[in-house]
Amino acid sequence: MRSDQRKELETVTRLRAGDRIAFNILFNRHTPSMIRVANTIVSSRAVAEDITQDTWLAVLKSIDGFEGRSSLAGWIFTILINKARTRARRDGRTVSFDEGGEDNNLDAAFDGHGRWKDKPELWDEITPERIVAGRNLAAHMSAAINELPPAQRAVIVLRVQEGLDPKEVCAALEITDSNLRVLLHRARLSLRDRIRTLTS
Amino acid sequence: MMSCKEVADRASAVIDGELSGWEMVQMRLHLAMCRGCRHFLGQIRAVDQLASSVTELPPEALREEALSKLRADKK
Repeated sequence: MRSDQRKELETVTRLRAGDRIAFNILFNRHTPSMIRVANTIVSSRAVAEDITQDTWLAVLKSIDGFEGRSSLAGWIFTILINKARTRARRDGRTVSFDEGGEDNNLDAAFDGHGRWKDKPELWDEITPERIVAGRNLAAHMSAAINELPPAQRAVIVLRVQEGLDPKEVCAALEITDSNLRVLLHRARLSLRDRIRTLTS
Repeated sequence: MMSCKEVADRASAVIDGELSGWEMVQMRLHLAMCRGCRHFLGQIRAVDQLASSVTELPPEALREEALSKLRADKK
């Protein structure tokens, strides 16, 4: 068993025993991402917070039934997304992550032979702590993620911020593997553009 | 040989370890000779690092409400 699997099993055991510290650690780690993902499905942040709270309640009530067939985070986000979908349907909202938003391709950056017109620069001073336009780059990144189209936002949070396995992300969002790849690539290109604009 | 555009289109696949063996060989050949593409890949990696570095505090009321609902349900 890998060390991360051992840690996760320990967390599950502690949650089952009603360990408040274990819950707090898990809550602090995942809640901001949960609100972000729920907000890609429901109409407002307030509703997303309600869904997140209901999800934690469901997690604590049903932790005995967690079988470890997915990661703990994958299980939590699947509960969240199902709850958000149910709420969205109830509110008459259509939910689909197939639509990737605008294609942020780089065609304009290349000449007719597929070579860079202007070669990308080395980002040797891009750190989360660097202050640009009054706040650090991590804060700019947070804002930029919030401005991504919903499907791109969901995949960047689940794959990059939460580190979920691609299969777990595809299952939770009901998208294909190739759709996930396209969404993730578009999201990264959009975020790169944002950082480049800020720092150039 | 891969063009810069083909390298850029595959940047996420490189980072996510999804290139086939032959594509990876072509990619390495190109990267060995092209500073612009090395920088571009570095930029995409930096995007992931910045995204991972985002830390936010959860709403405290949300935690307390979830726990108090749980206590109420158990009664």
